[in-house]
Amino acid sequence: MIHETAVSDSGVTRIAQRLDPAAGPWAKPNRVALVATILVFLAMPWVLVSFPIGRFALHLIILFFIWGIVTQSWNLILGVGGIFSFAQVSFFVIGGLASGVVAQQFGVSPFLTIWLAPIAATIAALIIGLPSLRLRGPYVVLLTLAFAELVRNFATQGPKWLAGGGYGLRDVPKFGFENLLGPSTGKVVYFYIALFLFGITTYVIWRIFHSPIGMSFRALRDSETYATSRGVDPFRFKMLLFALSAFFTGLAGGFLVHYNGSQAPTILNFSLTINLLAMIVLGGWGTFWGPILGTALLTALPEILRGPLDNWRNMAMGLSLALIAVFAPEGLFPLLSRGFKKLFGRKDKTEAG
Amino acid sequence: MEKLFQAIYGGILYGSIYGLMAIGLTLIWGSLRMLNMAMGALYVVGGYLTWTAFKMWGTPSLVAIILGVLAAALIGLLIQVLLINRLLGRSSFFNAAMIATVGAAIMIESAALLIWGPRVKQMPPIIEGHIKLQGVVIQYQGLVIIAVAAISLALLGVFLRRTRYGLAIQAVSQQMDAARLMGIPTVLTFMIVATIGAAFAGLAGSLLSSIFFVAPTAGYTPLAKALIVTIFGGLGSIKGTIWAAYIIGVLEAFLIVYFGAGFALPVLFLFMILMLVIRPSGLFGLGEIQRL
Repeated sequence: MIHETAVSDSGVTRIAQRLDPAAGPWAKPNRVALVATILVFLAMPWVLVSFPIGRFALHLIILFFIWGIVTQSWNLILGVGGIFSFAQVSFFVIGGLASGVVAQQFGVSPFLTIWLAPIAATIAALIIGLPSLRLRGPYVVLLTLAFAELVRNFATQGPKWLAGGGYGLRDVPKFGFENLLGPSTGKVVYFYIALFLFGITTYVIWRIFHSPIGMSFRALRDSETYATSRGVDPFRFKMLLFALSAFFTGLAGGFLVHYNGSQAPTILNFSLTINLLAMIVLGGWGTFWGPILGTALLTALPEILRGPLDNWRNMAMGLSLALIAVFAPEGLFPLLSRGFKKLFGRKDKTEAG
Repeated sequence: MEKLFQAIYGGILYGSIYGLMAIGLTLIWGSLRMLNMAMGALYVVGGYLTWTAFKMWGTPSLVAIILGVLAAALIGLLIQVLLINRLLGRSSFFNAAMIATVGAAIMIESAALLIWGPRVKQMPPIIEGHIKLQGVVIQYQGLVIIAVAAISLALLGVFLRRTRYGLAIQAVSQQMDAARLMGIPTVLTFMIVATIGAAFAGLAGSLLSSIFFVAPTAGYTPLAKALIVTIFGGLGSIKGTIWAAYIIGVLEAFLIVYFGAGFALPVLFLFMILMLVIRPSGLFGLGEIQRL
């Protein structure tokens, strides 16, 4: 077992303990903050729904959950693993296709097919990981880009049951809560499902961050030769990283296809990939809270700035990417948390949301 | 016979285009060890400026092309001075440079959208007319592109081998520390390389504005193709890149002529994946030295 290799390797475990004593499996999270956050999230949809624009706000938050899952798991590859993979959106689409096509062609309930999504995405990740993870840097970029192009080609020009003649999947069975419970309550249920998926993903990724496995990922990123000589098998760990990351991304893809009832191949255009990359980079890559913060910012800001500034949105995003790369390469979250600590002078864990 | 001739002509044409796009990427990789993701956007800049000069200002097409190349070169130099030069020497240079150039690409694209609007533009052909050879229509246009590409690539070769600055570029890409110790100004060399690379992307964009449409996001496909070519030929190897451009161009043309356009891209990518698995450092790549 990969997991056990890491745990039983005393060197790795000891480093992990020394660096991160607060986050081992024995550490208790801040209960009050945790319960408060959960309660806020549980109550939020009912409050929002009573406002006229509440349903749209809920939709935005659901999108935040979905893209939050994707950015968090992509951050696992990019930031924690240091592997420049551009195939993340392809995993998302593969998840959506797997669940959507089966539900559509065989009339199976989406509640059953959605579990195919993470499995299909994981298999795809293992297939693309096999050749690309033996390569480095720019070669990984190319191979994953090539894979993304292949998937795009397949999703636009593939057989009709798959590509819908270039329009993607349409009329996929939805979960159907809006028909059952009315549009407002239906949205609330969707919100809870998305929240649940987001919560599970966030928890697992938090555990990975603070476990010997996460330490091994970071060790491989920082010095592959040294990590290997300390007993971390680079290939197996990178495959595990890819598989974990694709699993959650595929799950999010499966949810979105049954939430929207369709999947357009346009999400495979490069702009979504860049948008997600911007979320990670802006928030702070390689950090745990970074992608969450970045996703929240880049989901909310464009909606707030809608109107006369619409045309300048992309310009602002490009500019902020360039500025971040030059002036704050670690991203906004480390910057903010350092500023916060300086202001209030005591060591505390900031809670997002 | 007709098909064969068609494929060879198409292949050389594609190869010329890919060569122009990829040479900048490989030069920049050779000296800076980064991927310039703004190459696609610079291609778009070249196309738009040529179109504007020709259609709006009424300049002759040769002047329009030169203006397009100069504009792309200028923006490439700006990216280098304003962004990349500040990142030099960081441990995460590869990542930071990649993100900075992606940011620059988005800015250029949205600027193009603001200035020229979302409607696609097309240049009229530089030279009208065609000849028929073996039943294949050959536009003078295509011949001009092939010739310009060949001449400019040859000129680049002369520049790299015969001039001081060219030799400096080669020295920096072979051994940067030694080059610096010999008194070669590396930052200046980087700026020259970035300008030349951008100029080539701009040249590709302005030449192709009369074959393909110009649109703000038109640069992605050429960028992806150029990446493939560069890596197929071995990153940083100029000889390899030029060979790879023509090999991939001919391969793609053969696939299109004999199997249809739908097959070309997937087969090309599968071919690429196989190539990377069998020979990860490319056709003429030197292999990578693993450092601690």
